Amino acid sequence: MIAYELMILYRLMPKPELRTALKRTSETIFQKGGIIRKLENLGTRDLPFKISVHGVVYNKADYFLFEFNAPPSSIASLFDEYIRDVDVVRRRLYKKTEPVGFECTLDNEMKPPPYRNDVLNLIEQAKSQQGKPKFEYNTNLDHYPFQK
Amino acid sequence: MSLILRRLTARFQTGNLIVRTCSTDKDAPEFDMENPFEKEKLQCVLCKHKIEADYKNVKLLSQFQSPYTGRIYGKHITGLCTKQQELVEKEIVKAQSAGLMGTYVKDPHFFEDPELFNADKPIRPHRF
Ligand SMILES: [Zn+2]
Repeated sequence: MIAYELMILYRLMPKPELRTALKRTSETIFQKGGIIRKLENLGTRDLPFKISVHGVVYNKADYFLFEFNAPPSSIASLFDEYIRDVDVVRRRLYKKTEPVGFECTLDNEMKPPPYRNDVLNLIEQAKSQQGKPKFEYNTNLDHYPFQK
Repeated sequence: MSLILRRLTARFQTGNLIVRTCSTDKDAPEFDMENPFEKEKLQCVLCKHKIEADYKNVKLLSQFQSPYTGRIYGKHITGLCTKQQELVEKEIVKAQSAGLMGTYVKDPHFFEDPELFNADKPIRPHRF
């Protein structure tokens, strides 16, 4: 099972209603055979843009973050199920990212063009295309006999 | 080095002179050391401080956003390496999609944040 993050925004509701909405969300995860690792309340915030869902325009929302493990086959149906919920303003499912190890290439990028790796790669690519076989007509003539 | 020294000592010995010479390489300086004057390797801000861009970290991501148009600044302005710029752009798109970050506006709360770069002085000239 893969770790996912669910960013879910609810419409502003009184606490008991919000609790039932959260319960509904988490129970759908359990139904699909998932495990919830973390539930975080990111607070009530102004939306950066207005969002219109279920025929209503929202300017504020309650932000919640679920971290859970679930089989990948269930993700599409989870995603579909959440927007059927009238209390949900927006939901996004992302795979939990792991840190990627890489070297900083800025030093190489700041060099003059002939020393940069990306330019060198381009030169190499051009060189490899020079030796491409050229089509020959096999007419034993040193010129093309027809009009071009 | 030792060859020259050996030759020198040979000459002095013939002239009946007492000269202190360096017969062994013990005191000779090592010349196969690393270049002590080599410049420090350039690193971008995020690689230097080992910061990973995350879509929930809107405060960091909005530093790479124009306060006028809300658009993401290019690599020639931000001064990030290719990989970091790619990651930052990816996370910004994720944050905007999740409703955490604006697409046309930068959150006014972040206007006072310290500037990581000067947008008026790009590292490389603009494409346009
Ligand atoms: Zn870097």
